[in-house]
Amino acid sequence: MQDIYLLVAGPLAWAAWAIFFLGSAYKIWSTLAVAKQKDQVLLNYVSFRYALRSIINWSIPFNTTNMRLHPVFTGVAFFFHIAFFVLLIFISAHQIMIEEGFGIGWVTLPDIVADILAFAVLGVCVFFAVRRVIRPEVNYVTDWTDYGLLALVTAPFLTGVLAYHQVGDYMTMVILHMLSAEILLVAIPFTRLSHMLLASLTRGYIGSEFGMVRHVNDW
Amino acid sequence: MRHKLYGYVIFCSVVLCVTFGGIAAFAQDTGVFKLETFGSLERPVSTFDHDEHQEMDGMECSDCHHVYENGVKAADQSSEDQACAECHTLKSQGTQPGLRQAYHQQCKNCHVEKKAGPVACGECHIK
Repeated sequence: MQDIYLLVAGPLAWAAWAIFFLGSAYKIWSTLAVAKQKDQVLLNYVSFRYALRSIINWSIPFNTTNMRLHPVFTGVAFFFHIAFFVLLIFISAHQIMIEEGFGIGWVTLPDIVADILAFAVLGVCVFFAVRRVIRPEVNYVTDWTDYGLLALVTAPFLTGVLAYHQVGDYMTMVILHMLSAEILLVAIPFTRLSHMLLASLTRGYIGSEFGMVRHVNDW
Repeated sequence: MRHKLYGYVIFCSVVLCVTFGGIAAFAQDTGVFKLETFGSLERPVSTFDHDEHQEMDGMECSDCHHVYENGVKAADQSSEDQACAECHTLKSQGTQPGLRQAYHQQCKNCHVEKKAGPVACGECHIK
C-alpha cells in the first residue's frame, strides 16, 4: 500500500500537473489557431478594453441580467467555483504537503470549516445532477458525458471527505482521492472542463463584439 | 490511643508509598509527545511506541535524538535529555524545520526509506 501511495503522491502527481499545464497551453494555442484560420475578422475586432469589461462584469455575482433571471443557479454556481479553489488551496492537509515538499506555506482553513465547505460542495454536485434531469431545457442538451464529467468532479470531494473522516479503508480512500484528482487535472484541457481555460477567451470575444461593433453592454 | 494513631499514620504512609510507587512502576509510556507548543490541535494526536522503535535493528538513539550543528548532523552526539520543542520552534528557522514539520519528516522520511510504517496523514492521526 505504501508503494502505491508514494507512486500516486509522487511521480503520478508530477505527471498529472505536467499534462495539465502542457495540455492547457496546447488547448489555448489550438483554439486561437482555429480562430485565426477560420475567423480572421474576429481577431481584427478584439479589444482588450471591452474584453476585460465583459470579463469583470460577468465575474460579479448577480451583476448580469441573465444571472438575475436564475438567482438560485447563479448563487450555487458561484459558490461551487469559489469553494472548489478555496478547498484546493487552503485545506491544511494540502498545504502541509506543499510546505514539506517545497518549503512554502500560507494560511489554512480550520478543518471544521473545510469539512462544512466540502459537504456543501457535495450537495452542489447532487444539485447539478438533479438539475440536468428535471430542467427540460438542460436535460435536452445533456448526454452521458455530462454526468461522467460531473462524477469526475465529484470524486475527489467524495473520497476526500471519506478519507478525512476515515470511513472505509483509509489508505484505499486517500489513494483514490489523489488518483481521482489527478484524473480530473488531466481531463481539464481535453474535455468541456476546459471552460476553466477558455471562458475568459469566450467572454472576451463576446465583450469585444458587443462593445466595439454593436456598441452595447453584453451583461 | 496514641499507639493507635501511630499505627494509623504508618498504615497510611505504607498505602501512599505503595500507591505512588505502583503508579511510577507500572506507568506506561503513553507515547504522546509534548504538544503545548501547538496550542489547539486540528487533528487527533499521533501515538508513538518508543520501545518498539528502540528495539528495531540498526536503530540508534541519535537517529531521532539528533544534534545539528550549523545545519549538519553531528556524528557522535545525541540529545535524549532535550525535548524536540527546545530547538524546533513552531515556525521553521532557516534550515531547521518547525516542530510539526520536524515530527512529520522524522517519522515519514525513515518510513519511506525503510519501506515500512505509516506515511499518509490518517495512518498516524487516527480518529
